[in-house]
Amino acid sequence: MEPVVCLKHIVFSRGVFRLSVEYLELFPRRVYALTGANGAGKSTLLKIMALLVEPQRGIVRFPGSTTRDPDQLRKKVTYVEQSPYLFQGTVSDNLAYGLRLRGVAREEQARRITLTLSIVGLEGFELRQAKELSSGETQKVALARALVLKPDLLLLDEPTANIDGNSQPAFEGLLARLPKYGVTVVFSTHDRFQAERVGAELLCIHDGQLQCQPIAACLRI
Amino acid sequence: MNYLSDSLVAAVALILSFDREVQLAVWTSLYTACVAIVIAAAFGIPVGLWLGLRRFPGRRVLITLLNTLMAMPTVVIGLMLFGLFSRQGPLGEFGLLFTPVAMIAGQTVLAIPIVANYVLACVKGADHRVIDTARTLGATHFQASVQLIREIRFGVMAALIAGFGRVIGEVGVAMMLGGNIRGSTRTMTTAIALETSKGEFVFGLSLGLVLLCVALIVNLFLNMLQQR
Repeated sequence: MEPVVCLKHIVFSRGVFRLSVEYLELFPRRVYALTGANGAGKSTLLKIMALLVEPQRGIVRFPGSTTRDPDQLRKKVTYVEQSPYLFQGTVSDNLAYGLRLRGVAREEQARRITLTLSIVGLEGFELRQAKELSSGETQKVALARALVLKPDLLLLDEPTANIDGNSQPAFEGLLARLPKYGVTVVFSTHDRFQAERVGAELLCIHDGQLQCQPIAACLRI
Repeated sequence: MNYLSDSLVAAVALILSFDREVQLAVWTSLYTACVAIVIAAAFGIPVGLWLGLRRFPGRRVLITLLNTLMAMPTVVIGLMLFGLFSRQGPLGEFGLLFTPVAMIAGQTVLAIPIVANYVLACVKGADHRVIDTARTLGATHFQASVQLIREIRFGVMAALIAGFGRVIGEVGVAMMLGGNIRGSTRTMTTAIALETSKGEFVFGLSLGLVLLCVALIVNLFLNMLQQR
């Protein structure tokens, strides 16, 4: 099976912080949990995979893509921050933003927005003002805004950080179901048990080093 | 006191009679200011965005220069452009001096630092996640900047209104580059200065009232935007 993304010989450093990933490949329709302590480099690694941060050394490849243009490749990956920002306007405006950039027709936009909001449990939220939502709803809208784009790779930075304890099981259930929609998910978490609950494969990062990973090497790149 | 109140009544009557001279001065002021602010927006908004988003050597110097330009007296701008457009100047052959084009050029130079500074302040105050969020959703740098302008649109509109307010009320540039030619480059401010010096106080007062109304409308609009 062809991996969705391959990382090879990645080195990123800023001040005293250094992140290195020798090899990593992630396969389609799976959920991966990136665990590690604060400052271990989880967010940086996610941003490197999202092509938002360029490492000083190494390569990030998307084997299924023919293009190497970062602006085109970025359309296959979406990244949701720990404290996501919603644009001014309605929930629907937010979900439509990325679709408009991809030239999706208006009718198709409406259909996909309705469907995606129902997947994240926000049916009927289309016309709600984004700035008036609770932090949990904001997190779900941000997830929906990423999911509606049908990315090959969905990167979530601490997606349950702003969600209260009662709502966490439902959100974890949603994370576990996402591969059913054809997406590969990587989410960062401090909680190894959360990774187990979601049924995710573990990626451990310690002091900027990727320690354990499901696939030992991706020497083909 | 009677002189003032009688003049005020006569000035209002002159405005309500749609006096041709008043109309021409109001029209010239409005259209030169509107064209100048559109051109100033085309330059000032990108400059404000660029200075707000990019970090490069000399950025602080440029911001200081922009602040200095904001405080530049209008007659100095008029004087510099006069040298540029006068017959002996580098652009003298185009014969632009004492035309509305020269006035618009001067007013544009006056408005650009105001628009750029306001936009810069808006970008600095904007949520830093806007650009990153747009990028994560597949936007190019340009598309992300457009999204940032959308997010700070009320601030950008306030910048344009502040620039418009400055331009429509100035007299130095209009006088030096326009020459106060009746029916061509005579604006409200230059007409007030000229007619009052000729003893036509009522005429000057009527234009002053119109100018005050324009300033009032502009400020009301600005306040409304700032409250949003």
